Amino acid sequence: MKGPTYLDNNATTRVAPEVVEAMRPFFEDLYFNPSSMYEPAQQAHNAIEEARRTVAEALGGVRPQEILFTGCATESNNAAIFGTIAANPARRHVITTCVEHPTVFEVGRELQRREFEVDFIPVDTSGRLDMGAYVRALRPDTLMVSLMHANNETGVIFPVADLARITKETDPSIIVHTDATQTVGKIELNLEGAFKHVDLLSFSGHKLHAPKGIGALFMRRGTPCRPFLIGGHQEEGRRAGTENVAFIVGLAKALELAAENHDTDQERIRRLRDKLQKELTNRIPFTQVNGGETERLANTLNLAIHFIEGEGILYQLSAVGICASSGSACTSGSLEPSHVLRAMSIPFTAVHGSVRFSLSRYTTEEEIDHVIEIFPEIVANLRRLSPYWDVKRNAPRPEAAPLMHQTEMPAG
Amino acid sequence: MTWNYSEKTTQLFMDAVQGKPGTHLGEIENPDGIGEHGSIACGDALRFSFRVERHPEDPLLDKIVEARYLTFGCTSAIAASEAMCRLVEEGDLSPMQALSITNQDIVNYLGGLPQAKVHCSVMGAEALEAAVFDWARKRNVPLSSLGIDIRKEEQEEGRLVCSCFGLTEPYLRRKIKELELRTITEIIGAVKAGGGCMSCHHTPGGLQDLLDETWGRPADKFGGMVNLPVAGQTATPATKGERTPFRFAKDVERVIDDVVRPHLAKDGGDLELIDIKGTVVYCRFLGDCATCAGSSRTLKTLVEHSLRTQVDEKIRVIGV
Repeated sequence: MKGPTYLDNNATTRVAPEVVEAMRPFFEDLYFNPSSMYEPAQQAHNAIEEARRTVAEALGGVRPQEILFTGCATESNNAAIFGTIAANPARRHVITTCVEHPTVFEVGRELQRREFEVDFIPVDTSGRLDMGAYVRALRPDTLMVSLMHANNETGVIFPVADLARITKETDPSIIVHTDATQTVGKIELNLEGAFKHVDLLSFSGHKLHAPKGIGALFMRRGTPCRPFLIGGHQEEGRRAGTENVAFIVGLAKALELAAENHDTDQERIRRLRDKLQKELTNRIPFTQVNGGETERLANTLNLAIHFIEGEGILYQLSAVGICASSGSACTSGSLEPSHVLRAMSIPFTAVHGSVRFSLSRYTTEEEIDHVIEIFPEIVANLRRLSPYWDVKRNAPRPEAAPLMHQTEMPAG
Repeated sequence: MTWNYSEKTTQLFMDAVQGKPGTHLGEIENPDGIGEHGSIACGDALRFSFRVERHPEDPLLDKIVEARYLTFGCTSAIAASEAMCRLVEEGDLSPMQALSITNQDIVNYLGGLPQAKVHCSVMGAEALEAAVFDWARKRNVPLSSLGIDIRKEEQEEGRLVCSCFGLTEPYLRRKIKELELRTITEIIGAVKAGGGCMSCHHTPGGLQDLLDETWGRPADKFGGMVNLPVAGQTATPATKGERTPFRFAKDVERVIDDVVRPHLAKDGGDLELIDIKGTVVYCRFLGDCATCAGSSRTLKTLVEHSLRTQVDEKIRVIGV
């Protein structure tokens, strides 16, 4: 069966068939509670510890005990942040960024409601973190920093290894957390090497071809962080709850696959993404690539189409079996456009017309060609309807053009 | 969020984007009435125009014979625009009769709209109203003497707090202040928000948070946070001898400008001072230094050494 053309891999990914196979025995014959005493349960327990070693190895050879399995990246992020503030009551200042995923951004706002001081560090129009502002934000009472590794919407990568080093050189007792949900499996992360100053690192399985419902939290030995879920001895009391054996095994398998195919996968994905970007920006006037001038994930293209609205684009794409997403207000569920694109001061004419394509190892060249062929027409359809667009000149109406000069714009 | 549009909504949208005959995409030249609603910043904007067949004596008997729209917006905004034009044309209406078309009529024509998309139909009705007012002005029809209130309360857009009743944050903030609502029960009584599934009561950004942000938090039973001493004093200012922080910073700046930068300039590089915290100095290499493999050594041997010997031996330099 031919499925849809799936270009929304930053939202979730297809589960790799190898992962499904690796998980299968734990639904069928090895369903035991890994905490039980009898021999078959020992096999389930051993499978978890084997998986823990695999994950530890994939993150640069950290200690297996430094890996905790959780339910999702949201849980990992919440556990890291709330756990750290609970363990360090003397400090009340937290630093994060304006473009974090809601699982950190909204936690930051919640901390403000609980009377913590939270600094949200801004980014520039290409999505780069303002390093000067970051350094100036560090204070004697700074408790922790939480900085995403790569942005889910634009793919822009923050220099987390450097930021962690600067932080620890300033004050070794500041806890450094990073949300690496979009990068684990895509970018090499060595927590004993370049990333040795990171204390806590979150990610989930379903962004790297493992199923939804499994996440992990790296917690460096000695990091002061209280448990988020309490009530059992699992994970050495640091995360209570019966272990999700099959999914833990699946996560480890997915990481193995990512490591095996890393270079060829990433190179092929980058080539396809670059082709998509080049062809679409050549064929459609008045577009801009959000985060395009910055180091970004090989699989992500966030394309803004001026003067049309993203939801209508997605709807037409969906009608021909293409899955993508948008930062427009109408697709957010909250009627507010993407806080990430707003933080980058992307003009409104483009924020609402942003479309994110995110590729995976299962994306084919034919699929990309299909999008290249069909997408310009979809844009033209909506521009014909737009009160800001002059169809004859295929350009914005003169009175609308100033709307898009709030920030620098490439000529169309 | 998946799409749950009615068949009619889907069909009107697809007809419109494909420019099928019978759709109302476009703008009338020299229209008898034109109205706009929304803005590109909000993510929805609609321009509606119509042409009438003028009655020779009584403008109130003008008939709308053609209606057109241009819409920037989502699927349902476009479908609602199309629906409105059809309602107006099919009804064989005078502009005054068209004024009685409500957003609910548009919703009904579409066979329903998801709760979060009802504002699209409101936008249609608002643009229609603006267009009729424009017609009235052009035709010298005294609307206010006909008992029509031109000042209608604007629909407030913003984050949806209560999804059961479709009430937004700006609206609720305004109502909490205007009606002096102090508790969730009072909010439910006054504006219904939170009276449905109740899930918005204590969620982050929910009703209790809006109340707290408006009226302040109730005093902490336990007397608030005790001011504990701050752990880890590594970054607290450590002024040495007579030197004030201002003098210290000036001295650091002087050594960097007079000693470090001329040295780096010989190799096509430069150094930017980012910040000083106590005796910790943050700087960033520029030019050729920024990409030089030996830059971290230079930071220690040249920058840190110069500052230690010439300003303060406690100085630490951190590269950014």
